[in-house]
This record gives sequence, C-alpha cells and structure tokens, in this order.
Amino acid sequence: MKRLAILFLVMALSATSGFGQSKPPSIDKSPLDFSYFPENYPLLKTQDRISGPPIARVIYSRPEKNNRVIFGDLVNYGKVWRLGANENTEIEFFQNVKINNTKINKGRYSLFAIPEKEKWTIILNQVTDLWGAFRYDSTKDIIRVAVPVEKTESITEPLSIFFQKMDSGFGLIIMWDNIRVSLPISL
Amino acid sequence: MTIKIKFLILAAAVVPFLSCNQSKPNPEIRLQPSVTKEGVNPYVAIDKSPMDMSYFPKDFPILRMNGAGETDLIARVIYSRPQRKGRSIFGNSEKNLVQYGKEWRMGANEATEIEFFKNVKISGHPLSKGRYILYCIPTEKSWTIVFNANLFTWGLHMDPQKDVLRVTEPVIEQLPPVEELTIFFEPSATGASLYIVWDTVKVKVPINF
Repeated sequence: MKRLAILFLVMALSATSGFGQSKPPSIDKSPLDFSYFPENYPLLKTQDRISGPPIARVIYSRPEKNNRVIFGDLVNYGKVWRLGANENTEIEFFQNVKINNTKINKGRYSLFAIPEKEKWTIILNQVTDLWGAFRYDSTKDIIRVAVPVEKTESITEPLSIFFQKMDSGFGLIIMWDNIRVSLPISL
Repeated sequence: MTIKIKFLILAAAVVPFLSCNQSKPNPEIRLQPSVTKEGVNPYVAIDKSPMDMSYFPKDFPILRMNGAGETDLIARVIYSRPQRKGRSIFGNSEKNLVQYGKEWRMGANEATEIEFFKNVKISGHPLSKGRYILYCIPTEKSWTIVFNANLFTWGLHMDPQKDVLRVTEPVIEQLPPVEELTIFFEPSATGASLYIVWDTVKVKVPINF
C-alpha cells in the first residue's frame, strides 16, 4: 500500500507538468471499459433497434489476472476494494431503481466491494470521480448489500463487470479469476 | 464488449468470400448472443482500442485522492483509443484511415462522450452543462468539432439535427507523431483547452467557464 501511495504521488507530480514538457497520456495498462443495460445498448440504439434511454451503465478499468492469485492475495479479504483499477468504478442509473428493496435515485455513483471468501459486500457511494479507494468515505454510502460468491469452472482473465437480464429486473455481474458475484437490481 | 472481437472474427471469415466483389462487407455489426445461462463465463475480452478518461481539472481523481482541497470538477471526456500501427491517419487518399472533409467519430467503439459539469464557452460560444457526444470533420488546415446530443451510441450514427454546437479550430503540427489517439485537457490562461492529438496532428479547443 505504501509503495502504491508513493507510485501515485509520483504519477500525480509527473501529471502536473505542462504538455510542452511531457508526452500526452499513454494507454493505461488496465484499460477502461463500458457496460450498459440493456446489454449492448449503444449498438442497439445505433441500429434503431431500441428506443428510450438506457437504464444503467458501468465504467470500470480492467486489470488482468496475469497468473496472479486475485482474491485473498492481490485483493485482500475484508477490505474495501475499488472494484477495478485507476479511477474508481462508477455506476450510473438513468432512472430510479431498487436494490435490496431500497430506492436508488437515478444518478452517478461510485462502486466498491469488500470481498470475502463466502460473500461480498457491494457498496454504492455518492462520491464519484475518485482514484482508487484511498479516499473512500463510508459516511457517503448510499447502500451496502451482501451477495454470495459463486465459483466458476473457467477463469476470467480480465476483470469483467456487466449487466444481465434477470426474471425480476437485471443483475450487475462481476467476474474475475474463478469468482462470480451478482447484485440483483429491480425497476 | 466481446462484440467487436466476434465481429472481427466474423469479418475475417466473411472477407475472403467477398474478395472478388468490389463492395465492402456489410457494415452491420452482429450482436453477441446474450449471456443467459447462469454461471457461464462470457469472457468479455479487452477492447483492441481501449477506453480512457480525461478530466479537467487535470487528473481530478488523483487530486481528490491526494486531498488537494475541494476543487470543482469542470469536464470529463470518455473515449476509445485507436492506435496508428504504421498507418497514415489523416488525408485525402483512400489509404488514409480518416478522410479529410468526412465526419469522423474521433475515437473507436462507443461514441466519444464529453460532459461539462457547469455551463462553459467553447471557442467563445456558450454550451450548457451536460453530456454530449463529440465528433469532428477534419481537413488539412482546420477541424470542425461537433457537440451532438445523440448520446449512448456506437460509432458515429449521423444525426445532424441533434448537433448542439460546431466550432472550427486550426490544425497544429504535432511532432514527434503520437501513436494513440489522445484527448485531454490542459489549463490555459482563460480556463482550459481540450486537446485532440493523433499522428502528426494536434487541435486545441478553448474552453472558458
């Protein structure tokens, strides 16, 4: 953690130097990605196969497993994890939804998780546009929900966060390594 | 996001059959089948042109992490980053990836998106706070940058009725050339500049707020 903090400090310092002296930002090692619900919304919209606004979108950076043990090692059990890399993971609802029977107003939220062996706590927090979870402030939590951990047979190499239709609404699915977690969301 | 990979595989499979046909392959993008089975690992692959985010104030999340006081967030751009890979990017020739005088999505995959968290002026013209997609019409000497309201789209689905603002700014030579499309903000004397840099081209769009 200390090493990381120093690294980020160095990055922050180097980032403040002017464009004249520095190169434009290069490609991130853990690239950013979008997932929408309805799934593939931008493609559907562009092909005029869907009308109305999307329901949800997640923006996250995608670290890869790279032969590492992820949960319980790279990602500590029992600690708040940014659920991604670089900037904190963000979830946006374009309409009000319900999570665990609690109304969640439409808007942009940061998304964190506390992974444990048998269950994860998924956290929606109202402070967005953070880097990592270093400034995570639990007093700004919107909701915390515990969800069970499922083991998958195959390994998911890059962290994958996406939405999937479910009987009552949809699920936010998080997969990495041999772990799958699903947060049910209803409309 | 596996769509693109699937599409590439599909395109690779289809192209040989079309090689004696002058027409281009059907541009329609096939959707991946929805993942319906519980527990199936969809293996959502990393994009070939990965997405990235730039903020103004620059590196806002890092500033916030470092507790550098409560500065207001002004703008954020989210875009995908194609790479040059030895290609000639801008020009008049069919060999060029981006043709002069034609609308270009200024990114890859999902439409490039810019959000302003307060009302701003772009090249002196007012633009209300909110979210827009960005595209441009590049020429040799200048680029027209377009802010359009057709959000959450893929590529560039032209809908000029939803154009909100068009501004034109001169092309600045970028040396050495930049490998990846790079969009970012820098502070300026009067606010900020939005830079779009790729290959040997740089365009600077002034923002006041």
